[in-house]
Amino acid sequence: MVKRVLMVYPEKCTGCGSCELACSFTHEGEFRPSVSRIGVFRFDEGGSNVPMTCFQCEEPACLKVCKTGALWRDEEKDIVAFNESKCIGCRMCVMACPFGNISYNRTAKKASKCDQCDGLPQCVEFCPNKALDYLPADTENWNKKRAFTDKMRRALAEVK
Amino acid sequence: MIGVTIDGRTIAVEEGTTLLDAARSIGIKIPTLCHHDGLPPDGNCRLCAVEVDERGRKKLVSSCMYPIKSEISADTKNERVIAARRFVVQLLINRNPKAIAIGELAKEYGVVREERFALEADLCVRCGRCVRACESNGTDAIGMARAGFERYVAAPYDEAPESCVGCASCAEVCPTGKITYKDDGLIRKIWNRTFDLAVCRRCGSRYATKEQLAHIGRLGAANIAVEDIDEPRLCDKCRKAIYTAKFKTGS
Repeated sequence: MVKRVLMVYPEKCTGCGSCELACSFTHEGEFRPSVSRIGVFRFDEGGSNVPMTCFQCEEPACLKVCKTGALWRDEEKDIVAFNESKCIGCRMCVMACPFGNISYNRTAKKASKCDQCDGLPQCVEFCPNKALDYLPADTENWNKKRAFTDKMRRALAEVK
Repeated sequence: MIGVTIDGRTIAVEEGTTLLDAARSIGIKIPTLCHHDGLPPDGNCRLCAVEVDERGRKKLVSSCMYPIKSEISADTKNERVIAARRFVVQLLINRNPKAIAIGELAKEYGVVREERFALEADLCVRCGRCVRACESNGTDAIGMARAGFERYVAAPYDEAPESCVGCASCAEVCPTGKITYKDDGLIRKIWNRTFDLAVCRRCGSRYATKEQLAHIGRLGAANIAVEDIDEPRLCDKCRKAIYTAKFKTGS
């Protein structure tokens, strides 16, 4: 299986929210952005929009605090995988993620996070402007992703 | 891999797979109450009983606690199995008539409550999921006390448990809603304890107990330093919002 990375290009995002609808419909069976695992942040100034979802960290903080094995690192798919049936609803992963990229579903009493739709991310499929892309993890794409994560690391130092 | 025959269907499973998991993997429904995929099996409720045939010897086992080690066959819905489950459901409905999950089981198995044998109505089914959830979190605040009819879930000496962090996992995994917690203003009440809730410095939402935040910090979440747990911090949503703003075009 070829490893792939989910790329986010905020400069191309129009804020249409198709990704949120595709995600919530795929995972929850309804069009409800509030339970989507990807979220678009819309900023008034400059008409800027930023889609945000799990970064599938290599050393995830969420995994460190999950004691039931509901979260684990799936090296084959290169994602932080989540098994809902093992989740006991303690919400520790939600608080541990430095990016706020795991949420808690009050109805299901379980955490909820991006699983990249088992290799076919629906947010990417339905993004009309290629602000999201799912690319082979080759050197070029890795470098782009690295540039993004470097920016992320600097941003993180400022948010406590 | 080991061949196992369940209700006449043969599949190959890895050694050590529980009979419950094997049955579920081919779509056979077995009722459970105390089982939770994320917690170690405990065999408390005995609802998942099935009949196993080990080289001609037939016996009833709890499928959640039965690791497959040799070629066996199992029957999940013969007369003996249904009778065993009906007996369990009978005892449960006698004691827990108000628990929704038990009511549904009683309906499914055609069992009605026997008033004359009924103990005082309770919601707790003694499945121990709450105890195991607390153990798995490493807090160990509650356990089972006494034995037999008197068995119940308790904090040590029935006092407010010191090691409880107020995470409420026990309430979330409770199959009948016996364990509850209440967030009221700035406090959360559970197990006779009152916890201060941390308030998000940006949106003002109350998102966790300070004790739970400290617990997460101790488990190794880098964003929470145990020594400054009283510092005003951000909830997960605001953390995301603020840091996402750094990716605005042009910034």
